[in-house]
Amino acid sequence: MSVEMRAGLSASVLLAVTCAGSPAWAVPSYSRQTGEPCTSCHYGGYGPALTPHGREFKLGGYADGKAIIPLSVTASASFTHTAKDQSEDASEHDGRNDNFALNEVVGWIAGRILPHLGSFVAIEYSEPERHAELDHFNVTYALPLRIGGKDAILGITANNAPGSTDPFQSFSEMAFPHDSAELVPERIGVPLLTDGLGGQVGGLNGYLWLDDSVYAEIGGYRSLDHRLLDTIGVEDEAGKIAGVATYGRLAYQKDFGKQVASVGLVGMRVALHPERDPGPTNKYTDWGLDATYQYLGNRKNIVAANITYLHENQQRDFDVEQGVTARRDHRLSSVRANVSYYRDNTYGVTGALFDSWGTRDTDLFEPEEDGGSRTGKPNTSGFILQADWTPFGKESSPLSPWLNLRLGLQYTGYFKFNGAQRDYDGFGRDASDNNTIYAFANVAL
Amino acid sequence: MRGRTDSLIAAAFALGATALFLAMPLAGLRAAGDHEAGADVFDAYCSDCHSVSPKGTNRKGPSLYRVLGRRAGTVPGFDYSQGMAKSGLVWNPQNLNVYLANPRGMFADGKMKKGLPRPEDRANVIAYLANPD
Repeated sequence: MSVEMRAGLSASVLLAVTCAGSPAWAVPSYSRQTGEPCTSCHYGGYGPALTPHGREFKLGGYADGKAIIPLSVTASASFTHTAKDQSEDASEHDGRNDNFALNEVVGWIAGRILPHLGSFVAIEYSEPERHAELDHFNVTYALPLRIGGKDAILGITANNAPGSTDPFQSFSEMAFPHDSAELVPERIGVPLLTDGLGGQVGGLNGYLWLDDSVYAEIGGYRSLDHRLLDTIGVEDEAGKIAGVATYGRLAYQKDFGKQVASVGLVGMRVALHPERDPGPTNKYTDWGLDATYQYLGNRKNIVAANITYLHENQQRDFDVEQGVTARRDHRLSSVRANVSYYRDNTYGVTGALFDSWGTRDTDLFEPEEDGGSRTGKPNTSGFILQADWTPFGKESSPLSPWLNLRLGLQYTGYFKFNGAQRDYDGFGRDASDNNTIYAFANVAL
Repeated sequence: MRGRTDSLIAAAFALGATALFLAMPLAGLRAAGDHEAGADVFDAYCSDCHSVSPKGTNRKGPSLYRVLGRRAGTVPGFDYSQGMAKSGLVWNPQNLNVYLANPRGMFADGKMKKGLPRPEDRANVIAYLANPD
């Protein structure tokens, strides 16, 4: 891979990773372990969106309940239609449009290992990429204790993605949309925290959860050795972290019983050697705000809302030295908001808005068919409408806790894409040409 | 003979008075408790951790199927706190009401952190637990 290509990847923050669909994050082994139906931990009856009880389970180190064989399998299939065909095939094994795909089959090692110790580990096979990799790794030890007469959990987590430890799921790939089209043109300009490092790093995080209300976390990440990345099937896209990347999270939750709300802060600092060689780095400083709200009522008819703001400062010393760009300092901001309603924890509708904007750089972001930018701006905005059906996942469901299923239909409309509404890529493609109908089926065993 | 009769009458009276004393608050709770509202309270505040399925499923908390009349800390397969396991308590509407008002007030080492602060919620959920089928 050339320096320019790699710099472009770091510039656009690893779009392939970001745009890839998430694994189907529902893990029935947890249900078998705890005796609880999926709806206890996930509003809507299917992961990954967590209820306060689900947050508590995650913070408890996935270790509540009895020891079982902690294995699950999930699979996701989809159909993707964009308003206009892409200029080239969406992948080596797919066409330019109207693609059916078995997105992934995921094997999970997810459950209690020892008292207070549990895992959330996924090995994913991607059908479009014909490739298996260690997708998600989280092993947590959580010690319950009392501080100042209040219940608390002190935890330590080994994981492979900043943000993946967040029980509020505001900034990682676990934020809405949990299912998204993979075989579509790629966006530029996604903050690094939104998954630019996922899978390629190893981190150790410590957290405190105090009185079911205050959450504080700090962690450090280093790049995994490229030979290890080869072994676990992960492509080395980000380069090497110089020293240690730091991650911090602070949040406050108020649980009213039938309602719960939270506000929080997040921050991350990373310096990357894109070529893994000594010398100048590209530095990223991310900070963000989030707020969440859930009306859970009697746990049947639920409203959930999330809003996040994330800002990233970039200092591209490496890119400047390599001649990739003349502009050292970049800014990138994004806002996302979504509201969901679930009836009987079965029938769901979600509406979402997203907007991201940043520094214009015509060297870094060049015209290119479908995925480039004519204007050099990383600005993208649009909306998502999703309807989904989750017939199982309740205590009374057939085959509970052995089977869960979600069928969904999603429409993504773009106001802007990679910097413009019209002819955004410099080859005549409009933002609305990327409007996407995405039908998906997720199953979990 | 008269003395024995008097004793029997006194014993019967005492027994009756005790039964009435016990029954009145029970009746009061049952009368005050709304079964349907109790189901809603259970779903909202209890169902994440407890099941009332006849299968007797334990979750983060033990099964509450037929909890009234059961000795505390005896559901098979659930790991109780020592305080509850050794209490010898038999659940009835009165002690369940006290427990639900402040679980850690009754069992300091108990696993259940949150109770139901509103008396009507407790009365309703107890009415529901008396007959969740």
